[in-house]
Amino acid sequence: MPETATISKIPAQALEALRSIVGETSVLSAHEQVLVYECDGFVIEKNTPDCVVFPETTEHVVAIVKLCNEYKIPFVPRGAGTSLAGGCLPVGGGVMIALTRMRGIHDVNLRDHYAVVGPGTVNVHLTQHLKGTGYHYAPDPSSQGACTIGGNVATNSGGPHTLKYGVTVNHVLGAEVVLPDGEVVQFGGYTEDNPGYDLTGLFVGSEGTFGVCTKVIVRLTRDPVAYRTMLGVFETVEDATQAISGIIGAGIVPAALELMDQGIIEAVEPAFHFGFPLDAGAVLLIEVDGLEVAVDGEAAQIVELCEQNNAREVRKADSPQQRDLLWKCRKKAFGAIGRLSPSYCTQDGVVPRTKLPEILKFITEASARHNIRIVNVFHAGDGNIHPILLFDERDAEQVKRVLLASDEILNRCIELGGSVTGEHGIGVEKISFMNKLFTEADLETMEAVRFAFNPSGLCSPQKMLPTAGACGMEHIEKSHPARRAAL
Amino acid sequence: MTTTESSDEFTPATTDEARDFLTENASGAGRAIFPVGGRTALHYGYAPTQPGFTFSTLRLNRTIDYPARDMTITVEAGIRMDELTEILKAEGQRLPIDVPQSSRATLGGVLATNTSGPRRLGFGTLRDYLIGITSIDAAGKTFSAGGRVVKNVAGYDLCKLMIGSLGSLAVITQVTLKVKPQPESSKLLWCAAADWQAVEAALENLLTSATRPVALEVLNAAAAHEISAEARLDLPAGGPVLCIGFEGAARETEWQTEAMTAELQAAGIRDVAVVDDAEPLWFVLTDFATSSDEPLTFQANLRPSRLVEFSELATSAGVSLTAHAGNGIVIGHLPDEVTTLDAAVKMLAPLQALAYEADGNLVIFDCDETWKQTIPVFGQARQDRALMQRIKQQLDPRDILNPGRVFSKDAISAVH
Repeated sequence: MPETATISKIPAQALEALRSIVGETSVLSAHEQVLVYECDGFVIEKNTPDCVVFPETTEHVVAIVKLCNEYKIPFVPRGAGTSLAGGCLPVGGGVMIALTRMRGIHDVNLRDHYAVVGPGTVNVHLTQHLKGTGYHYAPDPSSQGACTIGGNVATNSGGPHTLKYGVTVNHVLGAEVVLPDGEVVQFGGYTEDNPGYDLTGLFVGSEGTFGVCTKVIVRLTRDPVAYRTMLGVFETVEDATQAISGIIGAGIVPAALELMDQGIIEAVEPAFHFGFPLDAGAVLLIEVDGLEVAVDGEAAQIVELCEQNNAREVRKADSPQQRDLLWKCRKKAFGAIGRLSPSYCTQDGVVPRTKLPEILKFITEASARHNIRIVNVFHAGDGNIHPILLFDERDAEQVKRVLLASDEILNRCIELGGSVTGEHGIGVEKISFMNKLFTEADLETMEAVRFAFNPSGLCSPQKMLPTAGACGMEHIEKSHPARRAAL
Repeated sequence: MTTTESSDEFTPATTDEARDFLTENASGAGRAIFPVGGRTALHYGYAPTQPGFTFSTLRLNRTIDYPARDMTITVEAGIRMDELTEILKAEGQRLPIDVPQSSRATLGGVLATNTSGPRRLGFGTLRDYLIGITSIDAAGKTFSAGGRVVKNVAGYDLCKLMIGSLGSLAVITQVTLKVKPQPESSKLLWCAAADWQAVEAALENLLTSATRPVALEVLNAAAAHEISAEARLDLPAGGPVLCIGFEGAARETEWQTEAMTAELQAAGIRDVAVVDDAEPLWFVLTDFATSSDEPLTFQANLRPSRLVEFSELATSAGVSLTAHAGNGIVIGHLPDEVTTLDAAVKMLAPLQALAYEADGNLVIFDCDETWKQTIPVFGQARQDRALMQRIKQQLDPRDILNPGRVFSKDAISAVH
């Protein structure tokens, strides 16, 4: 792998100034220290930041941002770095603002249904904090054990339970944000329907390009009283996807509806020993929740629909321990992939739910065509696919085939009326798809909105929009000839 | 073009006509454009600061695509809400947003004003359903955001930006919504409380209720009286009333109405009536937000924990009100005795103060246009106002679309 070229180098006096803002030990700048921050969960593109700073207060963030403006240094916020599309790749180097020390749960107010948290709060820590209150924070991305709520806000994260409960934006009431020029504003608040434009809604999912989030006011949701968690076992992926269509079409909205194919079961079963049948074509993990009086009826209906679609069997999780294990298998599935391959690339596409059989067939064909093994574990109820392409990143030729297969799958999603990302974001990975999904006029309007927030372009440069000519791709050319060739 | 009714009103038959008209306007005189749908919320916001064209979306009312099994629908924005409801109903689906004057209101107008009603507690608001949008800006440029799938994070979420923007950023021409299945059963409980203290106690109890209401309305006696009469129901309306809605499978609503009745009785509210045929009551509860002849209609948003205090204060001043208690939203009409601006200002002052103190605001839906010179239509200015103005300037630099409606003219020029 060639050494990454650093486009700008931070001046020594700026580095000194950063140290005086946050303290000597809260700035990393030695090469071996910043190397860890060269990428997020999207490992195909890498670039080290010039330095990483760890603010602890909003005032720290303001001072850092103002300093970056003074020296015209690009800056990029980062949470836990679990994002999968290069959202916190420091394009052009510059200052990385790592928010992991701003992890306080400042306030929990059940009467008014909200909690106020620092952006560095780990998603699952809020869940644990709320345990026993009868309320929870609904978005539960699979990476919730590591990912931060600030990062969830930046990418508008989803998770298995978004089918019924919605994604991050549906659960954020407000945010305190340090704008790219250093001004602090609050969007939304502790109350609903604040007058004016919905800047909270616009900010969520802006992938760090509208400023640095320093506080989040999240909505809390009542816990469901009862769950029924089922595992439908199918001979083929087709049967499983037909069952999904049947369930959704019958007007049932399960809390979660997840598909795992044979390839992923082969990785998960030896890791967690749930007892998944290794010879099944696919399994569906289906959960209904709600009132005790309602869940049995819904579960019975689902069992019937699975059986109508040739399910070999439908198992029920008959204890909370079994339910937990089942969810552990699903959420940690990615971790088990190490058993199958040294590297993997998780794709994130969306199709209308009724097109699932079609896209899965296409994925199988693409896998054969490019001789790249692809396994699937995804949010079937939303039509949000996650084909996982297995490869060895040391082999440039394989990397090229992975990128080609990915591009084909995503293009097919667009053709089927879908999108190239349901929850991971555009980041740097999918910039080249933006003008396939959107017209020039759409992108101009988005650019105009970004300009209102981020006129200097210093905040998270070269993310989301394919602007500023082709120069956004230069870093790829320098560091990744293979990717460039594949594009 | 044959569709121009008069020199001051234009009703395009197609989105191409709409685009051409806006393009020509922008390249010529650049007159102000006032987008309208069903004209049910024309008094919301400041009066226009310039003369111009009324731009009606009423003929843009086609269904573009309705893949019912995907539970999404794409329609043009001029479609009337009742028509949309009928289309969805035929497939056993619905958009669970309560809209006043739904026979007239258009989807585009409802989006531009971010309309909601009692069931927002259970089902959220338009921002939770709008997944794709196409609009035409003041220069005639057509732009889209989102798409047609239920989960999508590609690009900035301009859907959110357009909701509630009061036609000040672009004209919404086409939208894609995700929809929900129709519930098998829908019921309302009408619970007459002895006083406000009893309402507060019941709301506190509801925080840990075994049930999951989809609506939690608080009505003062004046509103309760009017609503029960309008719905042609003989229900007690001597004091404050809690109106609690349940939807879902029949056995769910059955169980919940029983459980809630028991919970309320344990909390001291004994007078509980189950309204099984709930449709007329839902309708009237929703339509309460419509101003008939009242001198002024407002919406206050505040922390839910301060809602009873606010309602009690407003009731003592003579305001007729309903509240979405779970969401901290109060809709009130000032009484007929308020005939002067001075009287309105005086009555609103303590209510505004309380709303502001409770981290909320008080927004005027409808009142005499001349009063808006004095009464702040959007309540106290918020911190993010300057940024909102920068967005407006980016998307509509010549201030053609609904000039002055969101930001009074003075405020706009203040940032130049």
